[in-house]
Amino acid sequence: MSVPDFDLSTVGVGVAQESCSQANSSSYLLPEMLPFGFCSGCGHIKIAGYLDEALRRLELPKNKVVLVTDIGCIGIVDKYYDVNAFHGLHGRVITYASGIKLANPDLTVIAIMGDGGAGIGGAHLLSAARRNLGITLIVANNFNYGMTGGQHSCTTPLDAVTSTTPHGNLEAPLDLVRTLQPSKPAFLARTHVFAEGQVDMLVEAIQTPGFALVDMWDLCIAYVGSRLALNKSAIEGMMDELDMPAGVLYRGTRPEYSAAWRALYDEKGARTPPCLLQVTGGSVLDHKVGIILAGGAGQKIRSAATLVGTAAIMSGLKATQKDDYPITVRTGHSVSEVIVSPDDIYFTGIEDPDITVILAADGLAQVARRLTKCSPDARIYVDEALADSVQTPGRVVPLPFAQTAKRVGKLTIAPVAIGAVLAREGLFPVHIFEAAARAMQKEAVAESTIAGVRAGLELG
Amino acid sequence: MIEFIEGNDAVVRGAIDAGCRFFAGYPITPASSILVSMMRELPPVGGIAIQGEDEMASIGMCIGAAMTGLKAMTATSGPGVSLYSENVGLAIMGETPLVIVNVQRQGPSTGSATKGADGDILFMRWVTSGGFPMIILSPENVQDCYTLTVAAFNFAERYRAPVFLASQREVGLTREAFNYEHAWAEAPTPLPRPVAAPDCVYEPHACPTPDHVSPMSPIGGPHLVRYTTSTHDQRAYLTGDPDVIEHMTNHYRRKILDHAEEMGIYEYDPQRGADTLIIAYGVCARSARGAVKMVREKGGKVSLLVLKTIYPMQRRVIKEAVAEVSRVVVPEMNMGQYVWEIRAMAPGKDTIAINRMSTTLISPEEIIAKGGLL
Ligand SMILES: Cc1ncc(C[n+]2csc(CCOP(=O)(O)OP(=O)(O)O)c2C)c(N)n1
Ligand code: SF4
Ligand SMILES: [Mg+2]
Repeated sequence: MSVPDFDLSTVGVGVAQESCSQANSSSYLLPEMLPFGFCSGCGHIKIAGYLDEALRRLELPKNKVVLVTDIGCIGIVDKYYDVNAFHGLHGRVITYASGIKLANPDLTVIAIMGDGGAGIGGAHLLSAARRNLGITLIVANNFNYGMTGGQHSCTTPLDAVTSTTPHGNLEAPLDLVRTLQPSKPAFLARTHVFAEGQVDMLVEAIQTPGFALVDMWDLCIAYVGSRLALNKSAIEGMMDELDMPAGVLYRGTRPEYSAAWRALYDEKGARTPPCLLQVTGGSVLDHKVGIILAGGAGQKIRSAATLVGTAAIMSGLKATQKDDYPITVRTGHSVSEVIVSPDDIYFTGIEDPDITVILAADGLAQVARRLTKCSPDARIYVDEALADSVQTPGRVVPLPFAQTAKRVGKLTIAPVAIGAVLAREGLFPVHIFEAAARAMQKEAVAESTIAGVRAGLELG
Repeated sequence: MIEFIEGNDAVVRGAIDAGCRFFAGYPITPASSILVSMMRELPPVGGIAIQGEDEMASIGMCIGAAMTGLKAMTATSGPGVSLYSENVGLAIMGETPLVIVNVQRQGPSTGSATKGADGDILFMRWVTSGGFPMIILSPENVQDCYTLTVAAFNFAERYRAPVFLASQREVGLTREAFNYEHAWAEAPTPLPRPVAAPDCVYEPHACPTPDHVSPMSPIGGPHLVRYTTSTHDQRAYLTGDPDVIEHMTNHYRRKILDHAEEMGIYEYDPQRGADTLIIAYGVCARSARGAVKMVREKGGKVSLLVLKTIYPMQRRVIKEAVAEVSRVVVPEMNMGQYVWEIRAMAPGKDTIAINRMSTTLISPEEIIAKGGLL
């Protein structure tokens, strides 16, 4: 890609002469797109020039630079550059820049947004700084929303009159640098468009591997900038008054995120091997059976249900499993529904359970409505302590699950109950359930599951 | 090879096999397990996975990564789709391939986080301002979760568009036997991203005819790439020229609608002499299959059309199927959404909506009773 040299002075881009003289590479601006579409005297024109100058000094290959712009007047700036350009939604510039940098860390990713973008996208600013992801963010901070008609923004000074603060602004202006500093990103700086040394600052920011912010105080000549009569001394006075000084205010040393991410995941990452099941057959079940395991948090209901489904599949049946538990997983009910069937299972709901296993009061409460309506030949296997609370036309089978589990070992109540059910219902051979436990669980856990099932068989 | 896994797990397997190499998501029930699995499974195959600070960040990162050359996916549920809305528009405008999994839950608002519904069908269809066609696929079981995820990536790449996988809790979190051989046999061959020749003059949105989709070039590759949220010409420069704008808006529309049949995934099971047709998608298709089996076993007659591609609408097959009957039954786990699309295509037919939004499934018996099938 070759672009003719372009003389900045002809379009009035305010770049300090000293910095120009250091540059010898061609411009990163597209001459055919100029002049800039900003209002005459708008500070964005200066920022555009400083950035071009910084790029010229860095002599980065154009196709390895991405300029990501936000919405607002500043958001149109990308079209003047001869680099990759991504013009995204209002406030989200950092998100696209983050995706680009994560996907290809070799790219130099420069994001530009207004103070409006910084306000609406504040959460992204905080996160990018916390991650220390290697993007350079230039905030063209002109203290108002230029594009939409000079409304107040998160950096509008107190008392300032704007179209949406007709009697003066009551909201304290945000200090972007101090807001991000506790996260210790790589580089935090503040300057303004009338100052000197912005190009040096931008060069350092772009060269810094981690997250770099340049809060560039700016002039919206059409709106608040004129009202506040902002010029070099007025902006410097504002900086003094607000105690928001110019300069490179922080340099951090935390590792850059995309590199750190790759190093960490390269070292630790490995795919989870699939848990493949051997289908050996062996079930003689000839009809669909709906089973509900109704217990409480901490009873390992879900994994027991998964073993039932797994064993059913291994024995040649079809199976579905659905779990229900409150979002607060360590308390309340845990109810799993398993359907096993020799045929395809279309409907995965269980309205009239064939088998219900009740191991806790919380679980019983969840299935109580269905049990009152179930058919008379439904079997309800219930821990003997809860038997009196079950209201149902079905056949209640009280058994000492909890007591047995206490004897067998920790967390065995569900396997004990399943053992009892298998003894009476013969859904599939017990040895297949044991094989399922060995296939799915760690050895010690599988052994205790098997001990539980065997104790349960005796109850049956 | 068989595993006993949930629909969401199959989505993860499908995505990785389809070549997904970037994932960003924000936790939300019942979609969180996709994020959690992607964090573990994607890095070992050379991909990137990250939890965004919110849904806007998650989809924004995906769009950035997709334009840098990676196949990208995100996953959420209804509240997250609300927050994706503006960025789905960006993906349409910027012609960004992107797969969005919506594991629907009962809404509106926070609704029932752990309960299923198909309440977002029209929401996904009209998800963003401006109103452009969307591609939406709806799985009914764990195999579909794999197959349709692969298809979703292919459509996203082929048409350079965001594609929704309209899953829901009753599919995403239901565990079933997943058969790898069947999955590999059923799923389409993953389409590598078409890329522009290095020596061409690259125009990001080149479309000599409105339905033409041109190859992409990754940001950081041989060409300078431009991308913009604003109304633009084929070079991605802002434009106010009504002729150019008309061409581009036709392009976003026609590249999808003119190719609707290429995206048709459905199962049509007509029965000779049947006067009633059930049209179903998602988990309701399972109950519909159950109902059809019961009706036929009892000597009744009924036809079935299961739509996996719900958008773009499969007009030809729907018209053909509807023409054969006088009654159409549409069961949906919402208050009646897709049925309006069917009604518009079935003038003069008796169209019966069977709806339920009580967090419980519509049963085959309910379809038979309310549909007057026996
Ligand atoms: C989501 C959304 N809300 C509102 C707007 C309208 N809008 C366009 S520009 C802008 C403010 C831009 O202000 P700033 O970021 O400070 O840029 P400036 O115009 O001052 O350069 C707003 C609110 C939008 N584009 N998107
Ligand atoms: S409105 Fe303000 S910010 Fe926008 S171009 Fe004009 S002076 Fe610049
Ligand atoms: Mg501004």
